[in-house]
Amino acid sequence: MRRFELAVPGSVKDCLRILAERGPEAKVIAGGTDLVPQMKIGLLHPRFVIDLSGIPELRALKVNGGLRVGASVTARELELHPGVRSAYASLADSAALVGSVQIRNLATLGGNMCNAAPSADMAPPLLALGAEAVIAGPRGQRRVPVETFFQDVRRTVLAADELLVEFVVPAPGPRSGGSYLRHTPRRELDIAVVGVASQVWLSDGVCRKARIALAAVAPTPVRATAAEQALEGQPLTPELIERAASLAVEAAKPISDQRGSADFRRHLVRVLTRRTLAIALERARA
Amino acid sequence: MPKSVLSCTVNDEAVEVLVRPYDTLLDSLREDLGLTGPKEGCGTGDCGACTVHLDGKPVASCLMLAMQARGRKVLTIEGLGRWDLLHPLQEAFVRLGVAQCGFCIPGVLMAAAAVLAENPHPTEEEIRYGIAGNLCRCTGYTKMLTAITEVAAATDAGGSRR
Amino acid sequence: MTMKTTRDVKGVGLSIPRPDGPEKVLGRVQYVADLPRRGLLHAKLLRSPHAHARIVKIDTSKAKALPGVRAVLTAADIPELKKKAPTRAHAVLAIDRVVFAGQPVAAVAADEPAIAEEALDLIEVQYEVLPVSVDPLLSMQPGAPAVADAGTEADTREALAHSAVAVAKSDAPPPKAVNVSQQSKFQKGDVAKGFAESDLVLENTYRVPMVHQGYLEPHAVLAEWDSTGQLTLWASTQGSFNTRSEVADVLEIPENRIRVVPVECGGGFGGKIRALCEPITAVLSRVTGRPVRYVMTRREELQAGMPAPQVIIRLKTGVKRDGTLMALEAETILDSGAFSGTVLTVSAVFLGSMYRWPAFDIRGIEVLTHKPSVAAYRAPVAPQTIFAIESQMEQIARTLGLDSVEFRLRHLIQEGDPMVNGHPWQSNGAREVLERIGAHPLWKTRKEWVRSNGKNGSVRRGVGFALGGWLGGLQPTSATVRLNPDGSLSVLTGQVDIAGTNIALAQIAASAYGLDLDKVRITTGDTDVAPVTGLSAGSKTVYTVGTAVLQAAQDARRQTLDIAAKELEAAAEDLEIEDGRVVVRGVPDRGVTLASIGKKGNLYMSKVSPVLGVSRPAFSQQAPGFAAQLARLEVDTDTGEVVLRDFVVVQDVGKAINPLGVEGQMQGGAVQSLGMALSEGLIYDELGRLTNPSLLDYRKLTAADLPNIETIIVEKPSPSGPFGARGVGEPPIIPAPAAIANAIHDATGVRITECPISPERIALAFAAKPTA
Repeated sequence: MRRFELAVPGSVKDCLRILAERGPEAKVIAGGTDLVPQMKIGLLHPRFVIDLSGIPELRALKVNGGLRVGASVTARELELHPGVRSAYASLADSAALVGSVQIRNLATLGGNMCNAAPSADMAPPLLALGAEAVIAGPRGQRRVPVETFFQDVRRTVLAADELLVEFVVPAPGPRSGGSYLRHTPRRELDIAVVGVASQVWLSDGVCRKARIALAAVAPTPVRATAAEQALEGQPLTPELIERAASLAVEAAKPISDQRGSADFRRHLVRVLTRRTLAIALERARA
Repeated sequence: MPKSVLSCTVNDEAVEVLVRPYDTLLDSLREDLGLTGPKEGCGTGDCGACTVHLDGKPVASCLMLAMQARGRKVLTIEGLGRWDLLHPLQEAFVRLGVAQCGFCIPGVLMAAAAVLAENPHPTEEEIRYGIAGNLCRCTGYTKMLTAITEVAAATDAGGSRR
Repeated sequence: MTMKTTRDVKGVGLSIPRPDGPEKVLGRVQYVADLPRRGLLHAKLLRSPHAHARIVKIDTSKAKALPGVRAVLTAADIPELKKKAPTRAHAVLAIDRVVFAGQPVAAVAADEPAIAEEALDLIEVQYEVLPVSVDPLLSMQPGAPAVADAGTEADTREALAHSAVAVAKSDAPPPKAVNVSQQSKFQKGDVAKGFAESDLVLENTYRVPMVHQGYLEPHAVLAEWDSTGQLTLWASTQGSFNTRSEVADVLEIPENRIRVVPVECGGGFGGKIRALCEPITAVLSRVTGRPVRYVMTRREELQAGMPAPQVIIRLKTGVKRDGTLMALEAETILDSGAFSGTVLTVSAVFLGSMYRWPAFDIRGIEVLTHKPSVAAYRAPVAPQTIFAIESQMEQIARTLGLDSVEFRLRHLIQEGDPMVNGHPWQSNGAREVLERIGAHPLWKTRKEWVRSNGKNGSVRRGVGFALGGWLGGLQPTSATVRLNPDGSLSVLTGQVDIAGTNIALAQIAASAYGLDLDKVRITTGDTDVAPVTGLSAGSKTVYTVGTAVLQAAQDARRQTLDIAAKELEAAAEDLEIEDGRVVVRGVPDRGVTLASIGKKGNLYMSKVSPVLGVSRPAFSQQAPGFAAQLARLEVDTDTGEVVLRDFVVVQDVGKAINPLGVEGQMQGGAVQSLGMALSEGLIYDELGRLTNPSLLDYRKLTAADLPNIETIIVEKPSPSGPFGARGVGEPPIIPAPAAIANAIHDATGVRITECPISPERIALAFAAKPTA
């Protein structure tokens, strides 16, 4: 790593003050699991780094008629938290898949989202659950739905002088279930070739609402809206699920790279959409 | 670029050490504190050779900045056991001939110790996932599993464990 | 050279934990990067981003001006570098042309690694990018961009170390195929006639990409000079003597001015048998007058290490309906990267003479490309070769409805049968190993496994196996055995103890001399101190160094008995060594202690010589080792994911000197083999740049991807190895790619002939399969 200066603010306010001065040349660091590797290979050379580990409010995790996850909450915490596992299962599923246990104890939700890789595992569940990002800046706080949070590969709506504080996730409520699955060549220490999150809401035997979100098949995580619409108002039969899985492929615009070809990714979107819908349905009925 | 004082606990001892802002925790443990047990196998969190415990949890120390350890407790392989009082995992690894080149071993032991601390009766699958972040090229992992499984079973019989 | 000993073989055959276990589990063993040094400088290398380019200009002035930078070097600063580098080690810094992406063009030594990195950013290099040869099939064609400088010879040292099979005379290279650097041809009989008379002719092309040896410890070296011009290199190496010779040659320094200290090596597997970073680090140290340490980053290892070659084998076989073998035609293409160095003939031997083919035509071609050049990787070219022949043999058996094991046994070579070059096969356990895998319950119950699919309709189950072997490397070596004044033994070799062979050597010495194991200590000396020793590679450590230690221990024993004979006024043939004493056989109270003999050899004014056993053997006879592996797995045909449920390694080791160590070798080699089969591959783009230079995307298998590896040791003694031992390290890396391909075919009906057999390849091939 090349040399840099380090600031260690103790509060969001302190952090914002530093960002106001040094924002454009600075990078914030939480778990470092994306930032540090990028700095080590020279993809990024910030001359100024701001450590968030001394800001306790970023680590708050509250499950109480809705979920509030501070930006510095780790993947491991989300993976293990009983409240997250029961009511926000797709988010717990995705957190459990990040890296390895040594990475999950450092990697944060905020980092995963702000790094904004197309393959970010925790993004599709938040998208499917209708979450909002809470962003602090010099002009006060603002909320951005996850749907508009991502702008491009590795780019979010955050301005250089803003800080992501937390994500707010509305409680799905009863008769709702979700799931996240991804395909990777290895069981751990890997990165999604394709990831799919599904969330369904049931009412009177039919699917009242459905959300399907895809990772690693477009510059940002995307919703498969055609597939969602095919499901809404209908009973979720295996045939309908299969149809939705095919429609989900249309939302995917994958590239071919050394992790997978576009053909394979489209193939996987169908398979994983079918599987996550089946699990989501099972969980909604439970 | 001025250094800062890092105050933390390492292997149950309070330490104060001057660190550079861009030093990783791994760098600092090895170069400033002479604790060369944790190794750099990749520098990007993909191999586990740098695994230490941070407040009791296994982490990739090559990804943390040294200053991020301020006020926290760090445990390295040097603190897991002593030459005259090996940790049961260390003893089992010796007796069962687990280590070959040895480079991955400190990281594996730290990860395995964390598995058993969180889950005293892990299944084979849970052990495998618990050390899946530790790459080993020499052993094929089988003897590690035997040793870790044996230690877990032995603590049922009332052996003491850290 | 038969290993006969009347010694009680107590010690040999025991499962004894390695004595360095405690130091390793305590994290106290020091590797190169752990060695402290006052005034240490840190080295970094600037590497070419282009696979083929002319260096127009290098400006290092800004880098030199950065505070904390102590030296910045280009090739112009090292006048002793040969204009045309004959080997990779000689290409210390590129002089006027780079031939692979990642080739070093400048070197920096600085107070801190971070400053060295910043200095690299400040070095300005002007390149004229040139056309590249990346695909070996294109690189072979006339008119392809040339890789080698004219006049550089093929480097066949590796081939010689691994195989006693002579390289056959080759055809003259076709005109203007400038990148063909080695060729071989082996022929017998009339293959055209053989194919014409066959009922089943199969032709396939098998491909395995370049793979990295994957050692956890990256290349590392610490260099320091003293004021008299003596260089010391602390190196992570598999051969300190080899490193010394290479550094001496590259830098034109006499060998006795260099001391190479073999520091504990964090894995090598053939990737550390050649010098790589030592010369440049030595020069940086000389120029700065300070100790300099260079540790490769993982990214550098993947981009610019010395991987295994890419292998493409076109294999055509003809057989009769009843399974009679008729003809085999093969062409093996080895992509050696930018410098020659592959082992061509191994492939021919195992393609054409593991089974008895009456007619064969086997050609080997080594091609140069603009990629990092290769070194060895545990049984070089054998896994890829077996992938081809064992996949093909399985397809033949299946197509003809023959039993897989019986078909192979019927045609398997035996001792005395000729290899492709006419040399006879030495004694080997191929038959025993194959029979043993055929008798395994997992093989016998394979049909039930296939039928027992779970509830998930997309999962298929299968079982497959493959047989492979290794001829065993040879290299002259030496060892000494000393009797200490307290009656203990000190054994000295220069052998880098990577595979835990030191404990086996101790067991051999103890058994041969007649002492308890705890009285024997093995020391690995540096190149100033130790007698010349070969590489810790080629599965030859126990076979060659073990022989040297055995003979040196026997020599020491004879000397001891001669000294005792004079004292006891008895004949040496009537003496025994028991419980630390030399006694007259049958008369236990007539004896002297070993300690007294040891003391007398070191006593002031004594006329008794110290006991120093010496042995310095060279070898001509190999002891082939065979291994078979069986995989039992499940395939999710929707996603292509493979779950390996069971994996068995059966291996003939001749005599397991230390079964605990042997098991570890079998399991470790198997997992490397499985990595090659399932997930590993260095992927280059069309410009010769590596697209997966991290361990995230260069996928080695984790503990979560694997089951327990079952090991079954077979012992068919070799007439020439110590106590009958054969080399152990290489055979277990060989069979898995073929075993996996066979198991996946068993499960899905899909035959994959390209490694890694990834989920993508399986899923897309399955989806494309015509439904039955």
